[in-house]
Amino acid sequence: MTAKSKTTISRRTLLAGASGTLIASRAWAQQPSEVKVGLLVPISGLYARPGTVMREGAEMAIDHINAQGGIKALGGAKMKLVVLDSGDTTEKAKNAAQRMVAQETDLVAASGAYLSSFTLAVTEVTERASLPVLTLSYSDLITDRGFKYVFQTAATAGSQARQALPQLIKLAETASGKRPKTVAILTDNTGASIASAKAMREGLLAENQLQLIVDETFTPPLADATSLVQRIRSAKPDLLFFLPTVISDAKLLLEKMNEFGLGQGKVPTISFGIAIAEPDMLQTVSPELLQGVLTCVASWGAKGHEALIAELKTRYKEPWMTQNAISTYGDMWVIKDALEKAGKADRVAVGEALRTMDAGPSKYYPLGEIKFDEKGRRVGAGMTIVQWQAGVPVTVFPPELALAKPFWPKS
Amino acid sequence: MLPMRSLLPPLLFTLAYAGISLGVTNSYYQLILTLVPVWAVFGLSWNLLSGYTGLISFGHAAFFGIGAYATALGQIYFNISPWLLIPVAAMLGGIAGLLIGFPTFRLQGHYFALAMLAYPLAILYVFEWLGFQEVTLPIKRDAPIAFMQFADPRLYTLLGLAIMLGIIVLTQMIERSRFGMALLAIKQNEAAAEAAGINTLAWKLRAITLSGAIAAAIGGFYAQVLLVVTPASVFGMLVSAQALTVAMFGGVGTVWGPVIGAVILIPLAEILHAEAGARIPGIQGVIFGLAIVCVILLAPEGLFWKLRDLLRKRNGSRPTASETPEATTADITALKPASRQRAATGEVVLEVRNLSRSFGGLKAVQDVSFKLHKNEILGIIGPNGAGKTTLFNLLNGFLKPGQGEVLIDGRNMSGQRPHVICEAGIGRTFQVMRPFLRMSILDNVVVGAYVRARTDAEARKLAVDAVASVGLSSVADRVAGELSTKELRLMELARAIAGQPRILLLDETLAGLGHGEADEVVAVIQQLARDGMTIAIIEHTMQAMVRLVDRFLVLDHGAVITEGLPEVVTRDSRVVEAYLGKKWAAHAAN
Repeated sequence: MTAKSKTTISRRTLLAGASGTLIASRAWAQQPSEVKVGLLVPISGLYARPGTVMREGAEMAIDHINAQGGIKALGGAKMKLVVLDSGDTTEKAKNAAQRMVAQETDLVAASGAYLSSFTLAVTEVTERASLPVLTLSYSDLITDRGFKYVFQTAATAGSQARQALPQLIKLAETASGKRPKTVAILTDNTGASIASAKAMREGLLAENQLQLIVDETFTPPLADATSLVQRIRSAKPDLLFFLPTVISDAKLLLEKMNEFGLGQGKVPTISFGIAIAEPDMLQTVSPELLQGVLTCVASWGAKGHEALIAELKTRYKEPWMTQNAISTYGDMWVIKDALEKAGKADRVAVGEALRTMDAGPSKYYPLGEIKFDEKGRRVGAGMTIVQWQAGVPVTVFPPELALAKPFWPKS
Repeated sequence: MLPMRSLLPPLLFTLAYAGISLGVTNSYYQLILTLVPVWAVFGLSWNLLSGYTGLISFGHAAFFGIGAYATALGQIYFNISPWLLIPVAAMLGGIAGLLIGFPTFRLQGHYFALAMLAYPLAILYVFEWLGFQEVTLPIKRDAPIAFMQFADPRLYTLLGLAIMLGIIVLTQMIERSRFGMALLAIKQNEAAAEAAGINTLAWKLRAITLSGAIAAAIGGFYAQVLLVVTPASVFGMLVSAQALTVAMFGGVGTVWGPVIGAVILIPLAEILHAEAGARIPGIQGVIFGLAIVCVILLAPEGLFWKLRDLLRKRNGSRPTASETPEATTADITALKPASRQRAATGEVVLEVRNLSRSFGGLKAVQDVSFKLHKNEILGIIGPNGAGKTTLFNLLNGFLKPGQGEVLIDGRNMSGQRPHVICEAGIGRTFQVMRPFLRMSILDNVVVGAYVRARTDAEARKLAVDAVASVGLSSVADRVAGELSTKELRLMELARAIAGQPRILLLDETLAGLGHGEADEVVAVIQQLARDGMTIAIIEHTMQAMVRLVDRFLVLDHGAVITEGLPEVVTRDSRVVEAYLGKKWAAHAAN
């Protein structure tokens, strides 16, 4: 009996002590020591590689922000990254998003989720939970739904093609002395590729006085590229737009082009998207075959990012900085700016700050400003053109960001 | 309607589940709680076709995706409410099932499975080509309830549960009806099912139509939960695999299998993804896969059957199991062989005219003609390869005759499907027994009764009578897999007579039986003949036959050598020669 009452007493004292500390920490929370930011990207399954690169970019940014004194408006609170795996299916991505909003209740914002179909599903959840999400995904659909808490940092797919085409023609004209007239499109049937190809077919090519003479859509992965390349060879277009998503397709086509004597710039090849400029390309394709190949991407390591590119190389052994790394790096800084503006660690306030912020010219995304329009699209979002030069894809456009001069393959 | 006893477990389960989910406020756990009934229903839809008929479908995503896209596109382009669209999706899924089933049921086994695999993959590309790579459901802020967009995630779970309860009850009703019996019979032995009077194609088409409708309906609901539809997320390989996984893990061919599978696997996969995946990305897939492999190795038919077998074994040593066989034996020996008026001159019920069939160069049956009189026992004998079984297959429709006619009651029935001939009054048994091993004796026999019975109750009554007439009443509830050869032979006989045929074709019914056992079976056959049945029996063992039959028809190399009374035929030198060779024929003549 006495023993029992003793334990009750000790339990009660314990409880009192615990609630005391709770109160203390509550008081402390007025000025949080850390602010949590989510990163919801694929780190397992088919898309683990790009997701991992995004995490690397985010980690670097968080380290830099914290090293420079954290969030000043919150008394120097440190930013903390919470990584969630979106997996490799839309359902898993949605589940992860639900887990993020239900269990990481103190997140103030997040970045994600690589594939635009994942981002679409994820933002359905975050929108309802009023959690601001910055995304690199460029499907127009993401910001066409009237959502208030999704912010697209990249130019949308349709807009990218619109920006790229005149630049490419100008490049061809200055380099080769004649304006290209005919084009071929070889595209796979994934969402992003279809969106870019559709924009070109439905007006963009005509606006730029280009004639479409070969138009082929294939389903990845390709088993054999011979018939596609034969069509290119017989039609002899001045430009080839090649839109793969899977690296093996890029390899197959480039090798077949070379075999048929069309490679290494005989038919200038322009891609959209990151697949053809991923570091993994070099594991299967020789740099000679890639020399001169151009690709249009939302963002890339560029002029002004030299230190970041060097750090990424030493810290994570990444040979160059793709859009996934630089863009996610930028996302963290934008969230930091929004926190400074909001002055409190609250997701709704951060969302409001993102909607109204005007933080001047963008440092980490190409061109434009750190300012979002009513749809949540970044104002003046540009894009970059990257060219394989001596085994490295380097930014060659826009000129103010270019790390190297573009060259037009001599035919 | 279902008896209350079988309604109770699903009802209790649903209520318990609903009770738990109402207490969960974390929206992530709630989403998982919603996905469990979704995948359970999808598993149930797969189970309805593949679990019961045994025709494995790798392509149920086809129906699921059609439902999901119908629900999504209907909202986007026509602004129709999902409350209406999900039933429409079910209709579309049913139609798709019919369209897919009709050509694909020509294939069997692995070929069927592979062909089914192709449908969702093909449809996936069609939807990509149509430009529906990413479809999102529009937010309806003004009328969320009318568009099934609940602010409280618990409502999705409750709705999912309601659908699941409905499908469980539907499945239970099917399981107990003629429909379910037909499907189970098809699974265990399609040929036997046809011979027992089941129009297998018609039942399979009904099954795939219903299965497609359920899959499409739940696909529509899934779209509503996920809010985003992409071809890969509804037509992908993983979606079809999900149906197989939950059903095979939980137990194939039972209503509880997919439910058990979903309740365990869906949360498990999520927990692994959230917990293990956060530490070592990708490890969740490895653990999940290994868990499934282990369970399939330990319980190949699924958890449900494993548990049931374990429970049975524990209760198995009760007296009923050990005593019953003796009871049967006693029952059968009570039927003393008695002499019977030989009836060789009654009206002709079956007439075969110039029947021929060849396989390539081999003339398996050539120019066979004979008549079977009412209430007669005709023994068809001949050495191995004489064409006896082929003749039966021609008579009951397994094979189409090359030439000649089979007249039943004067009507030419040659070339008809087996179940049509069964309806016309011909029942048969098989040389190689074709029992439905997982079913009880009575259920085995019920399958054969449906050809005559209009209602389930009537079928049960006919089956009980048939089981009684072969003397198996005392073991009627035992599973066929536990029976001895003799009991199986008798059960097959009961299944054939449950359909109340006028003519029975018995194919080596005495094969594999010991001496005493054969006598018991012979006694049953004799009793059937006394009750007015007309019987044609194939047999090797002359001894038993001589006492049993009224007349012999002797075949060799597919042709009739002779026909006549037993005592005459057995002395015929051509018969002896056919069986034993020329040398013995000479001996016999002396």
